[in-house]
Amino acid sequence: MTTTAPRPRTDLPLEGVRILDLTVVWAGPYGAMQLADWGAEVIRIESINHFANNTRGQMARPPKAMMALRAGGMGYLHNDPGERPWNRYSTFNASSRNKLSMTVDMTRPEGQEIFNRLVRVSDGLVENNVPVSMDRLGITWERLSALNPRFVMVRQPAFGLDGPYQEYRTWGNHMEAIAGHPLLRGYPGQDVSQSPSGVPSDAAGGVGGAMAFLMGLRYRKRTGQGVMIEVATAENFVPFLGDYIMDYTMNDRVSIQQGNQHFAWAPHQAYPCQGDDKWVAIVCRDDAEWQQLCTVMAVPDLAQDTRFRDSLSRWNNRDALDQIIAQWTRPQGASDVMHRLQAAGVPAGAVMNEADALADPQLRARGLFQTVTHPEAETQEQVGPLFRMGKTTNPIWRHAPRLGEDNEYIYKKVLGYSDAEYHRLEGEGHIGMDYDPSVP
Amino acid sequence: MILPMDSIRVLDLSDSLTGPFCTRVLADYGADVIKIEDPLAGDPARRMGPFYHDEPDLEKSGLFLFLNTSKRSMTLNLQLERGKEVLKDIIRKADVVIENFKPGVMASLGLSYEALSTINPRLVMTSITNFGQSGPYRDWEGTNLTLFAMGGAMAGAGDPQREPLKTAGQMASFHVGYSSALATAMALLAADIRGAGEHVDVSFFEVAMNSIDGRIQRILEYQYSDFQPIHRVAPGSSRALGSGTFECLDGFFTFNVGPAVFPPMARMVGAEYLLEDPQWATVAARFRPEAAKEFEATLVPWCMERTKAQIRDLCIHYRVLGGPINTVADLVTDASFNARSFFQTIDHPAVGPLQYPGYQFRVHTGTGEPMPPRRPAPLLGQHTQEVLRELGYKDEEIGRLRAQGVI
Repeated sequence: MTTTAPRPRTDLPLEGVRILDLTVVWAGPYGAMQLADWGAEVIRIESINHFANNTRGQMARPPKAMMALRAGGMGYLHNDPGERPWNRYSTFNASSRNKLSMTVDMTRPEGQEIFNRLVRVSDGLVENNVPVSMDRLGITWERLSALNPRFVMVRQPAFGLDGPYQEYRTWGNHMEAIAGHPLLRGYPGQDVSQSPSGVPSDAAGGVGGAMAFLMGLRYRKRTGQGVMIEVATAENFVPFLGDYIMDYTMNDRVSIQQGNQHFAWAPHQAYPCQGDDKWVAIVCRDDAEWQQLCTVMAVPDLAQDTRFRDSLSRWNNRDALDQIIAQWTRPQGASDVMHRLQAAGVPAGAVMNEADALADPQLRARGLFQTVTHPEAETQEQVGPLFRMGKTTNPIWRHAPRLGEDNEYIYKKVLGYSDAEYHRLEGEGHIGMDYDPSVP
Repeated sequence: MILPMDSIRVLDLSDSLTGPFCTRVLADYGADVIKIEDPLAGDPARRMGPFYHDEPDLEKSGLFLFLNTSKRSMTLNLQLERGKEVLKDIIRKADVVIENFKPGVMASLGLSYEALSTINPRLVMTSITNFGQSGPYRDWEGTNLTLFAMGGAMAGAGDPQREPLKTAGQMASFHVGYSSALATAMALLAADIRGAGEHVDVSFFEVAMNSIDGRIQRILEYQYSDFQPIHRVAPGSSRALGSGTFECLDGFFTFNVGPAVFPPMARMVGAEYLLEDPQWATVAARFRPEAAKEFEATLVPWCMERTKAQIRDLCIHYRVLGGPINTVADLVTDASFNARSFFQTIDHPAVGPLQYPGYQFRVHTGTGEPMPPRRPAPLLGQHTQEVLRELGYKDEEIGRLRAQGVI
């Protein structure tokens, strides 16, 4: 195991910024990964004596029966948990690349002292736990800013640090439910128990957490002082429904299931195509795009049909319109329809599954996917950075860290512990690469 | 209150949703955002609903009012040479340019990144497009729906017997705007360190492929699962224990529990006796395929006797993962959001005081000072004269620009 800095120097914008990562599940880890992608040294602080649920799996050592329940984009490589299941979990490995991992048991005094030493030599910390969990570990802004007055702390509880919901434990889909998202997302006329579940608030939370950290760094640069930024993940998401909220506060209107409908445009739907479960989304934003669609469909008379002649007529007769378009798309390939319509300037996009995405010529031409090899989880392609810069490249430099993979570097090089102390901390259950056998 | 971006001037050439949401966030954290609008038509978002009292009016679009708080509006005709000259005067004193034209449009106006960086070498320019600045789809059309269909996890959302569903509203577009704000802040850091600006390339398609609905993990999961593509699942067909959306007294409530963390839910619904039963006592026993259906015999009637608010409060107490399926009215009147003063009243000259969603996140400087109130969205061209005077334009020159239709 190496004790040199695991990553070579880069010229990335966050080079030299060290961030402690106490995030869990998906939103927090994904946000911290944005910072790691652009050069920060992000250190995940984990414990071999405590398993953070839904972060490195649902359980440290899942029963075989769990393998069959692979759902919602979470699972183990080849449905095989292997020797160390926590290093083979897709959610973690997709949201932690470019980071480091260390272990310490912060429920013990020695662990608290190790944490203090980390805070003194770091620039900031990000976490997205229910506030009581941080209180229990004594992790407060007062303590961290006393240890390091230039510290930037981003706290990201679901509903905020105060208020009636401060103890409310939720996932993204529950915050979205509270924000009104699944109700709007459902099929018109069908009850909401049929609404698909999503995690747009987690995705927004990841971006928000990273944005908040950058704002903290900027505040520190402006004032010379550290700062605490509070990202209530649910509040961070609510503005994404801003137009519906304004419709309510302006007009008392309460919108219900919208499906794929747009409030003014038609067509605006996913249409069936040739093959098993293949679809293409088509939109006309104005009469010109509608006329182009009619031309490509080779039914120019349709453009003159009074039911569809202008925006409002098309919207009012959208069900009939959808049937006509579906009849045209059904015998064709989704990609063919997309190319034909795009050639005529009509917005169209095939509904792409993962195989389609990995083979897509645009994403390939731009090199979005990057090959990453993990020591315990083979080699796959991962989705590259969220955005690009013209003069700066940031290839993925490493796999998501194995539990405790960087202990030696962090304890010895970052914190200055001696070999003897390191050995003692190993014996005392702070340092390791396996969860304690008592952890389920 | 000192805000992180209060030394930053942003020239905002963007319109509609993605770019304006990006600059809304930058303005929230202190940036001076100068929004350039066409002198006659203004931002197309001014013509998009919902409208105040459903009356279409350039100053009464709820979408525009929401997206453009705390910005200044200046009209400028970029088709005229004189308009471009004025624009360059602003760019000399700006830190950031945001644009969401199609690729090549800025260059055709003589405003490519290369051209602008010669007049301001530290300039950050963020370009937000459908597919990015390169590649075979570069010039394709795209909307919130078509780009989410291509990039997002739409294939897995909805009833397998029906069409797949997008996320609600224009959520994917908001996410792209928010990601663009992050990208801009990152590039400003790079510019600070190097003393030279950056051109940021944000592709809607790639942002969708990254994050919304966990796409980045699904792409990896597909490979982990030996290439099982995502597919839609009939509601109720593969429900995990204690999970799903259930009817209650005044609507619906959604839970995610599962075998590993079942005990708190058993206690919540008064079924703790199950935990003594060998069929339910261990995690492995609770993985029985029929367990979920069996437990619904208890859960369904329990929900039907309670309101969304009652179940929510019990979930908080028992630490059960779940949430009420709210309407926008439930949200705006919610006790917790209101206790935290999330929604803000902003008084706008054309529509009066209204409640708006609050800040994405809150900066706590240690003084206990709250985030400052936002300013209302600008009237079309409200700050044209003010901005030109700041640039040193004399009133006679401003009059001439107005007469020539430049502003």
